[in-house]
Amino acid sequence: MNANLAERFAELPHLLSGHVLLSMSAILVGLAISLPLGIQAAGRPRLAGLVLNAASIIQTIPGLALLALMVPLLGGTIGYAPAFLALMLYSILPILRNTIVGLQGVDPVVREAARGIGMTPGERLWQVELPLALPVIVAGLRTAVVWVVGAATLATPVGASSLGNYIFAGLQTRNWLSVLFGCLFAAGLAIILDQMIRLLEVAARERRRGLAAGVGLSLAILITASVAPRYIAFEPAGRNSAVIAGGAADLTDETIVVGAKAFTEQYILGALLESRMEAAGARIDRRDNLGSTIAFDALRTGEIDVYIDYSGTIWATVMNRPEPIHRHAMLAEMTGWLWAEHGILALGGLGFENAYGFAMAREQAAALGVTSLADLAPLAAQMTVGGDAEVFSRPEWVMTRDLYGLGAMQTRAMDAAFMYGAVRDGQVDMISAYTTDGRIAAFDLIVLDDPAAVLPPYDAVILLSPDAAANPALVAILAELVGAIDDELMREANRQVDLDRQTPDQAAQWLAETLEAGGADR
Amino acid sequence: MSSATSPVLDIRAVRKTYHGGVEAVRGVSLELAAGQLLVLAGASGCGKTTLLKMINRLEEPSGGSILFGGEDVSDLDGVALRRRIGWVMQGDGLFPHMSVRRNVGLIPRLAGQDPARVELRVREMLELVRLDPSEYGDRMPAELSGGQRQRVGFARALAGSPELVLMDEPFSALDPITRDALQQDFKTLQAELGFAAVMVTHDMAEALIMAQDVAVMRAGQIVQTGSPKALMSAPADDYVAGLLDTPRRQMRAIAELAG
Repeated sequence: MNANLAERFAELPHLLSGHVLLSMSAILVGLAISLPLGIQAAGRPRLAGLVLNAASIIQTIPGLALLALMVPLLGGTIGYAPAFLALMLYSILPILRNTIVGLQGVDPVVREAARGIGMTPGERLWQVELPLALPVIVAGLRTAVVWVVGAATLATPVGASSLGNYIFAGLQTRNWLSVLFGCLFAAGLAIILDQMIRLLEVAARERRRGLAAGVGLSLAILITASVAPRYIAFEPAGRNSAVIAGGAADLTDETIVVGAKAFTEQYILGALLESRMEAAGARIDRRDNLGSTIAFDALRTGEIDVYIDYSGTIWATVMNRPEPIHRHAMLAEMTGWLWAEHGILALGGLGFENAYGFAMAREQAAALGVTSLADLAPLAAQMTVGGDAEVFSRPEWVMTRDLYGLGAMQTRAMDAAFMYGAVRDGQVDMISAYTTDGRIAAFDLIVLDDPAAVLPPYDAVILLSPDAAANPALVAILAELVGAIDDELMREANRQVDLDRQTPDQAAQWLAETLEAGGADR
Repeated sequence: MSSATSPVLDIRAVRKTYHGGVEAVRGVSLELAAGQLLVLAGASGCGKTTLLKMINRLEEPSGGSILFGGEDVSDLDGVALRRRIGWVMQGDGLFPHMSVRRNVGLIPRLAGQDPARVELRVREMLELVRLDPSEYGDRMPAELSGGQRQRVGFARALAGSPELVLMDEPFSALDPITRDALQQDFKTLQAELGFAAVMVTHDMAEALIMAQDVAVMRAGQIVQTGSPKALMSAPADDYVAGLLDTPRRQMRAIAELAG
């Protein structure tokens, strides 16, 4: 717990700064767009209707989906840009709507008085209409701030660092302290910003310069404090500047971006890659919690340099090949295809397979007399299968369902962190498990046989972006990991995090030490 | 102030037709001499407010012309024109987010006068309308009574030293006692400062008490113009006689009670 807490605090400067930068810039730009637009629209009912409808449509898109949509819209760019764009769009509606409503709500008598005594349109706007609409506009701004600071936690899966990293990572590794950490800091940030804006409004209304200066100063301190770590930690350096002739494994002065998807094994492997490359002198930028296809797109465009993916996933979702083939043939064909199509280097398998497998509680399976997927068809109508968010739309499930006649089975999507407990406790009858998960053994689950070989192999492979593939030192260092981790080793590392409450960094360290010690045997 | 020979305001055959063909004003001509107080009287919807608003171009006439100090108002910039003309409206029209001081000082401030001069002008105006500047200057409009608010409204209208003051039902939202006091104070003020004024009212008694001249309007046209005395002694038609009859009947009823 102590190591856990210390590790969370160590991440805080980086994540908080990412969060503040992202949400503040989104709100400021959103304000700069929606305030003038609202002023223009307030006196033009048709324009007002048009822009409000447009903003409302954006608002109805769920935050996570809006963020994810920005990635393909920006041509596969991940990180700050798509997150900023989505949150900025998100901040527009409340500010725009309240600007329009606030200005339209100004008493017509007061409006006419302003015209009648000879104020210019600009004087009327700045000295009468805006000041009178200010409380309503500020209320909209405060709503936007709370929304955006909250929604910025969803920026994690598109590769932008935010306090959401705590929440996503904590959820996957069942590290509730981490989840709580993220929630508390995000909520605290939202409340502080909200109150600061409220005080600024009071200062403006009551013409209290001291108060305005005080709040302005605290805002400046908050922003400086959150932004400073970014520039202290990462002084700019050319990425490919120092490739040492002769291919020596030296990455001094290079920045390598390591991606990881959103589950325990990926965090551990990300940390392992990090420690390996850091030992060679590289600076590492981690992008954890990427969505499955987002990670691949980011690698393709060079947004990240390296991450671990699984042959079956690339086969089905990137290559769009429905029929599984033999493990080694798939690995070979995939490697060739990635290189030819995208210039992506599949360095080789890590040595273990993390396949999808359908698991049941041993007792229940025995009671029903089930050992194989082929036994399930007559029972399907009474059964519920749980799985992570993507599995039910993946070919693996579709083919399993169709081939074994499981169409009558009810499906229930849930976070991968919860499904092992759910099947153990009988809340669902079967789950789509990952075969390297330590909880299969720990919870006394059995993985059902797949006699028709519907489920494809899932060799973990190291993938390098085209740029990174051209870096011999990097390739040399990562090549040491090829074939180094077997199923058992990976399952044990996963178990340490999922059940023993170790942090992924600790598990990665254990893994590194074990590899070191057993290096001779392998 | 303009010269005594040419009228401050010369309204010539002015018409106003709204979109949809409603004729609010149908050929009105009027003259207003310097220092004169003219009351436009008539029932709701007779076009008197529309006529008033065409003078400072809050509304644009559909025909005819309006000369202010000899110049056609349609040749003048609307904002510049309105700064030269005081504007008082029903329900005061004060800016609720500004103190009394800032409301009254608004026009001089917008005209770019330095703060010391603005402050001097504010004090002068508040004293004119019988409000103690040190007591009322920092109050917000919501902290004043209806009569006090209307006084501030007058002070604001007069702060720019206008040659002409336009008033749209300035007393109608007040209780009778406050109204009477304000009417008297305004008459005194107008006589002292010597500005010309046009006041719109639907209250015939008020028109008779306040005006040097009354113009009675009906359905967008002027039915009769004259001094209150002339109107009383010789109403132009039954309509005017009917309008005059109400205050007369009230006075008689009150006199009977006393006697």
